[in-house]
Amino acid sequence: MELWVYAEQRRGKLVSASLELLGLARGIADKARWALSSVLLGHNVEVLCKELIAHGADRVYLVEHPLLELYQCEPYSRILAKLASEAKPEAILFPHTAVGSDLAPRVAAKLRTGLSAHVVNIELDERRLLRQIVPGFGGSIMAVVLCPERRPQMATIMPGVARKPKPDWSRRGEVIRVEEEVSEEELRARTLELVEEPPEEKPLEEADIVVAGGWGLRSREGFRIVEELAEALSAAVGGTRPALDEGWIKPHQMIGHSGKTIRPKLYIAIGISGEMHHTVGILDSGVIVAVNNDPSAPIFEVCDYGVVGDAFEVIPRLTSMLRELRGAQLKQEP
Amino acid sequence: MVKQVPYELVVCIKQVPDPRFISRIRINPETKTIIREGVPAVINPLDKHALEEALRIREQHGGRVTVVSMGPLQAEDACKEALAMGADRAVLITDRRLAGSDTLATALALSKAIRRIGGFDLVLCGAETVDGSTGQVPPQLAEFLGVPHVTRVFSLALKGREAEAKAALEYGYRRVLLRLPAVVSVIREINEPRIPSVSGILRAHQIPVEKWTIEDIGLSEDEAGIKGSPTIVSDVYEIEVRRKREVFQGPPEEAARWLFERIVSVLGG
Amino acid sequence: MEFTFTSKQEMLRKAAREFAEREVAPRVQEMDETGEVPMDLVKKMFDLGFGGLLIPQEYGGSGMGHVARMIVIEEISRISPPLGFTLQIVHLGQAPVIYFGSEEQKRKWLPELAKGALIASSAVTEPTGGSDVLGIQTTARKEGDEWVISGRKCFITNAHFSNIHGVLAKTGDREFSYFMVEADRPGVKLGRKEDKFGLRGCVTGEIAFDEVRVPEENLVGSPGKGLRVALASISNVGRPGVAAVALGILRRCLEEAAKYAKERKLYGKPISDLQAIQWKLTDIYMDYQTSWLLVYYAAWLRDQNIRVDAENAMCKLWATEAAVRAAKLLTEVFGAYGVLREYVPQRLLRDAQVLIPSAGTSDIMRVVMARKALEFSP
Repeated sequence: MELWVYAEQRRGKLVSASLELLGLARGIADKARWALSSVLLGHNVEVLCKELIAHGADRVYLVEHPLLELYQCEPYSRILAKLASEAKPEAILFPHTAVGSDLAPRVAAKLRTGLSAHVVNIELDERRLLRQIVPGFGGSIMAVVLCPERRPQMATIMPGVARKPKPDWSRRGEVIRVEEEVSEEELRARTLELVEEPPEEKPLEEADIVVAGGWGLRSREGFRIVEELAEALSAAVGGTRPALDEGWIKPHQMIGHSGKTIRPKLYIAIGISGEMHHTVGILDSGVIVAVNNDPSAPIFEVCDYGVVGDAFEVIPRLTSMLRELRGAQLKQEP
Repeated sequence: MVKQVPYELVVCIKQVPDPRFISRIRINPETKTIIREGVPAVINPLDKHALEEALRIREQHGGRVTVVSMGPLQAEDACKEALAMGADRAVLITDRRLAGSDTLATALALSKAIRRIGGFDLVLCGAETVDGSTGQVPPQLAEFLGVPHVTRVFSLALKGREAEAKAALEYGYRRVLLRLPAVVSVIREINEPRIPSVSGILRAHQIPVEKWTIEDIGLSEDEAGIKGSPTIVSDVYEIEVRRKREVFQGPPEEAARWLFERIVSVLGG
Repeated sequence: MEFTFTSKQEMLRKAAREFAEREVAPRVQEMDETGEVPMDLVKKMFDLGFGGLLIPQEYGGSGMGHVARMIVIEEISRISPPLGFTLQIVHLGQAPVIYFGSEEQKRKWLPELAKGALIASSAVTEPTGGSDVLGIQTTARKEGDEWVISGRKCFITNAHFSNIHGVLAKTGDREFSYFMVEADRPGVKLGRKEDKFGLRGCVTGEIAFDEVRVPEENLVGSPGKGLRVALASISNVGRPGVAAVALGILRRCLEEAAKYAKERKLYGKPISDLQAIQWKLTDIYMDYQTSWLLVYYAAWLRDQNIRVDAENAMCKLWATEAAVRAAKLLTEVFGAYGVLREYVPQRLLRDAQVLIPSAGTSDIMRVVMARKALEFSP
């Protein structure tokens, strides 16, 4: 019995989410005593098999063809469905990426089986069923999804749910080459090219991460620590009314009652005391982090993680830790 | 002179709880079902973008826009609003036996309805809904219709029997050459949906919303609703946002490290 | 009795609200600061059909009627009272032609007025007569088959972008006639624009007519019966329109008060827990609800073609004074922040106050109502 992980590659490099998924799947496979296999489609990607095995796959199904170099929904879904109906895996996991969420549903439809989307937690229950936990209604409700009868059980998993495992390059595994015919006619939705663009400067309301500064930063120079942290996180920069009055931010960056209301995944308030006229603009944020040297500052009432301390000492250190991590990640990411 | 190539356009819409009031949604602790009372219902926002795109295609090339929806009777309001925006025809598949349909059963039902409507050149959908937000129906619908699909489209240009689409990726996009007929799902950036005009509202009240049952679309009871759904929801619970209020006080290096670990964890590695 | 709106009216409300929240809201601050009319938004209102609500379908409008009109003005005014007011004056300018125009006049002007190709002002008030309308001094004398009009009008809203003006002129002793005067006729001169402290973003100003010649066809209604044309239009369209703008302000006051009270924390809890604040909210609520009832009741009566000058006057008096009360209370709910220009309450208060002398002061409203009140004895 096998558990499959779809290995997404882009431009000949494995997408980080696929490797994370292997880590997650390895845990499930060990518990269920299933073999863990990965399915890889592309052109001239054989070299990636070793990486998949090093990250936990016992076996890799490799399908190569020039026309499969870029993601193509019809041949990719056809081939995956064909392999699955022959090998009959117990479950197939996909990363919930743009490609994963484009591909997995079509495969599930071909196999007439169940698929859950953007799973944030997945566990095996006593019946060897995968309990798939998915957010609904914008995250305010969680549902547990099961696929009790049909096989394979399928799910797309949110990137970031699992940690990328440490590769063990001494691991051994099997590579099964599968020969498949692909014709031009089959490419009715043909990906012509990938165009990569750096993330645009999003308006504050659309940013996933916002770093904001307030009166505690004392000067334009002081405000720079906010900008540097934001840069290290690819975050948007915001601020309070005092920051606007001092000219450290522009009007469209002001957060609060007479400014913007935002709900980013992560909000970091630096040198902000947190009175209501500001905090009313951030209450729906995913996680709120605050740094302030006044332990009685109201911001600590509404934060998840707070540090009482000197922002000028703490933030630059945090920024350099994040820069270091990003440097390491960039070497891995496509 | 732009050559008129009229297109048969189908737009799938879903009536969902108004996302602005989503925090009011409650779970019935006994039946584990969603209580939607007190939460106004709207057309799923991304479906409006899909409809807008169809209307623009009709304006540019000529053709007909049919809106299809699957839902309870009150979804008729969403269909009426679509007619007010300019759709030519609205079909609501409404049948108690469809309750509890997962995306597979939904896609199958929609595909049968679309086949019953007749030939089509393009089916447009919103990339995801505000309630389930799986995004799964468009590709599954395409599979059941036997046509190609592209999801997360933010730019679409039709030329005869082909279309060039730009579909969003995490950092950028892919250019896709699509052969019609096809299914596309669209994201917010594609256009700005129009506001229904007074004449649209009056027109909408003169075009009846057609209501179809599973017999009308040729779907069997086994393929419908819970029976036709491979996945089930075994439990539902509300998430309450309670701030952790964990506060650290200590030397800067440790404080920075403490924050670093938590931030990295929130961002998922 | 039925207190529900029809499905069409509900859809219209949704569309008007969407327009207001999406297109108008971002421009509100700029309108208040510059006092300029956003002509692109005026055009959008016409494109959506908001300009033709009172014009029958056979003449290019939608004929949706008075209740529908109140809905649209309320929704737009909830976001921008000046834009709501601009729209209501658009309708007022059309009214003489709709209700008193000859068949030829209707066919000639109404389709253009519905589309917004023609925008008409209602030029009645003068320095010598607003409340005292009989005191106006603009004259019109007949020369051959033309009328020659001379005089000065003031406090005329929309005059500066209207391309046709509805002018009330004296044609005899205590005799008045109503004329449509195209803006490009020689002798039509726009004067100063007033600098109002509220309702900024709708333009009010002076317009002068210096021996302007108009043909006989431009006389609306019977000669000498112009006062009725002007006053009936103001009664059925102008006053309710002002009331609907006030209703939008009232609605907004209620929403802002509730929101602020729940967010603002003092003494360790939201101020909405304090009865003093609750009572302010209930008073705003009562003012909103009573105004709502009067406005929609009068509109419903008008849609039944019942003559309701007293009800029109009543809803105008009540809703405008209620709006001022509610805006003042809102300002108090906000505490010190209520007097700051960057917060909404002070703008609503300024906007509401400008409605008080519009389409007739509260005293004139009482004069109109007195007649009806006296009829209550057998």
